[in-house]
Amino acid sequence: MIEILDPTTEAATQTIAYSPRPTALEGKRVALIQNTKYNSDRLLARIGDLLKAEYGVAEWRMYNKHNASVPAHAEIIEEVKKSADVMVAGIGD
Amino acid sequence: MTATLTSKRFVAQDEAGAIEMAFEKGWSDGLPVVPPTEARVRAMLDAVGLAPGQQVGFVAHRAVSITAEKVAINAVMAGCRPEYMPVVMAAVEGIADPRWSYHGPGTSTGGAAVLMIVNGPIARQLDVNAGDNLFGPGWRANLTIGRAVRLVMRNVCGSLPGLLDRGTLGHPGKLSYVIAENEADSPWTPLHVERGFRPEQSAVTVIASDAPHQFYNQLSPTAEGVLTTCADDMRISGTVMGQSTYVVVLAGEHMQTIARDGWDKKRIRQFLFEKTHNSHAHLKRTQRMAGEIAEGDEQKMRPLVASPDDIMVVAAGGRAGAFSCYIPGWGSARSSQAVSKEVKR
Repeated sequence: MIEILDPTTEAATQTIAYSPRPTALEGKRVALIQNTKYNSDRLLARIGDLLKAEYGVAEWRMYNKHNASVPAHAEIIEEVKKSADVMVAGIGD
Repeated sequence: MTATLTSKRFVAQDEAGAIEMAFEKGWSDGLPVVPPTEARVRAMLDAVGLAPGQQVGFVAHRAVSITAEKVAINAVMAGCRPEYMPVVMAAVEGIADPRWSYHGPGTSTGGAAVLMIVNGPIARQLDVNAGDNLFGPGWRANLTIGRAVRLVMRNVCGSLPGLLDRGTLGHPGKLSYVIAENEADSPWTPLHVERGFRPEQSAVTVIASDAPHQFYNQLSPTAEGVLTTCADDMRISGTVMGQSTYVVVLAGEHMQTIARDGWDKKRIRQFLFEKTHNSHAHLKRTQRMAGEIAEGDEQKMRPLVASPDDIMVVAAGGRAGAFSCYIPGWGSARSSQAVSKEVKR
């Protein structure tokens, strides 16, 4: 018999509180987080326009990350917290 | 009192069963691993004098704390000797450094490997290869140190191929990608000294990198001739538009040719920087730069790298053969910077 040790991370338990999801998008302010890859601004603007036209969102505003390889920086997060109800973020190549 | 190892334990029938268990549990890179028993893991920790719970690095992007115990377990699995541990630890510190920016090279479709360049006395002590067959195979230190780092990325940071690690192609350097600089024969300032360390210190530099690109020049007896070939090969390479870092590895014959003309690393960098510009017209014609060709685009030049300092020159490789190579960095120098860490004994 041989006993071996687990090489993987065994995550310590923690609770994460999610913001409550809005039940409808009507009248909401939308933040679009763009990763700066080519055409990502056009794709997100189109999504923003569709959200306005088809779901009645009040407005959308786009925020640019420093580059595609880093998480959204603190200033973006702070600004979005203050000025938006809903955020659209994603990775696209 | 010896601190307890807190990792979960599993029991297998024998060594062969433990090797199979590692495959079944998804802990392996595809090759058999050395079963990480407590005695083997403790030998690794003793080599660096660290408590199991000591944090080696914290990858903020993944919210993952990398402990000495987990590094030790993965180093055992990779086949490291305990004396390799200080190099493995320094490399893990490097990839956890915010400047290396794990979020990109640990996940990207671009398929970066972690190129690790070992400098200083430790490279000779551990027999990290700086000569023939530089990128392998044949040297235990080169193949197992890099493997240990990749296993940490897989098992601790979660960079599982096909899941978090979405490399479209990847490359063989993702198994292990470790070289030493040939400081014994090099006429130049070693990389770690250029990056702020003393010659008698040991250091490892980690760079998110593509595969090596070999170039050939058996014709020219001059520095300018050899490096003209290098620049011509390099000019369209890597992401081209990204302006990544580059490592240029000059092997024996080329090293001697270039040194004979009295060129130092600074002059090599400057020459390569100047000779690897591309015209906007060419970049647009070949669909690398967006937009239509405009007036003046044939004359308007864009450098391959943002600055000559983004080209690292390293003396390494076999003594015979008119070959050297350049290694494009992953993405852009903005997205992931080369990081050097001292190897603490």
